[in-house]
Amino acid sequence: MDWSVVWHYRAAILEGLVYTIAISLLAMIGSFVLGTLLGCLRMTHQSVLNEAINAYIEIVRNIPLIVKLFFLYYIAGLDAFPSGLLALVIHQSGYIADVITAGFRSVGAEQAEAGYTLGLARWQSFLYGLLPQVTRITLPPLTSQFIEVIKNSAVVMFVGVQELTFATQEISQMTLRSFEAATVATVIYGGLALAVAGGMNRIGRRLDWA
Amino acid sequence: MAVLLAGAWLVRDWRWSVVWQASPFLLRGLGVSWELAMLSAAIGLASGTLLAAARLYGHPMIRRTAAAYIEVIRSIPQIMIIFWIFFSVPPLTGTVMNAWPAALIALSIIASAYLAEVVRAGLLSVPRVHRESAYAAGLGGTTTFVHVILPQALRNMLPALIAHIVMIFKVTSLVYLIGLVDFFRATMLVNNRDYAPYPLYLTMALVYFFCNFFLSALIRWFDPKYTLSA
Repeated sequence: MDWSVVWHYRAAILEGLVYTIAISLLAMIGSFVLGTLLGCLRMTHQSVLNEAINAYIEIVRNIPLIVKLFFLYYIAGLDAFPSGLLALVIHQSGYIADVITAGFRSVGAEQAEAGYTLGLARWQSFLYGLLPQVTRITLPPLTSQFIEVIKNSAVVMFVGVQELTFATQEISQMTLRSFEAATVATVIYGGLALAVAGGMNRIGRRLDWA
Repeated sequence: MAVLLAGAWLVRDWRWSVVWQASPFLLRGLGVSWELAMLSAAIGLASGTLLAAARLYGHPMIRRTAAAYIEVIRSIPQIMIIFWIFFSVPPLTGTVMNAWPAALIALSIIASAYLAEVVRAGLLSVPRVHRESAYAAGLGGTTTFVHVILPQALRNMLPALIAHIVMIFKVTSLVYLIGLVDFFRATMLVNNRDYAPYPLYLTMALVYFFCNFFLSALIRWFDPKYTLSA
């Protein structure tokens, strides 16, 4: 074992890490916004809209991420980074929409009705009554969804985005030190997952206090 | 711009004959995907059950080891695990790994960690009193686990189990990386030879969709109220 290769190629690893963090963060934000939008729209009980969203979720969940990625890259002809980002956003939004819907279901319609009886408008009841409760309930499953985004971000190496997995594979192919390279990547991914879990935990505590 | 778009639309070729001619090859790839998914799900379920039992009822050392294994596997990308098994472990052990066993081992490891959590949730869903009453009836630890806890847990976790098998089926597409000709790689190879991406990619998406839709339809059949959250 020769760990000096890790230090020698630190710049490449760091660059890969930056790409991983950038694409994961953007994909988290994008899939959260899109997933929440879909999850909330499903709560409006418009049957046509509901059917459309259900179909979207079903399609998104049943097709592997790599297939979506290749579609966006080779057929839609996007660049590597945008196609990777879009694939991650589309992929995770299907799961996050279900998390949000489940959150709303668990809070229950009577909470909204209680808001109406207090004389709150529909949006007030939603904003002050439902949303804080839903946020608190959905936080743990959202955490695992966000960790899922980081893990899935490794797939974008297939179209040539030079993220962490790509970088460490390059290193292992150049130096034939695949054990060291894979260990570094594994440790970093574990650290990123812990960081997300820790961050979400902090947000959760902030919410409990409020 | 409009002219360009219209031109692009016309130039696209929809040679479905390519898909038709290559269908035996594609079907063989699909067979590999199914085989890989089902075998690794079976191995994963067996070892996942052991891991879950170890994590719940084991000696503190065993408990911690099982938990560490599960959490580490679940927190790193699936591609990394495939890389580990195919590229990083063989030099250490001085062996050469073929694509098929490497893919099977990697997917089984992935499946075991994810399914262990599914089984654990299932085991936790069985009320404590059932175990206590089994002990009170004079059953031993193993008998209680196999005949009292596990059957109930299996029934409770069935929807989540199938949801994870869908996940495993999707992950099989990643073995593309190590050169195994699964359905995904088969499609790519045909595309490299005949270059007809539109019909080929569309076929690929549809086939994956229907395979997984079939699996997730089973969930709804078992439990109509279940929403996927794997």
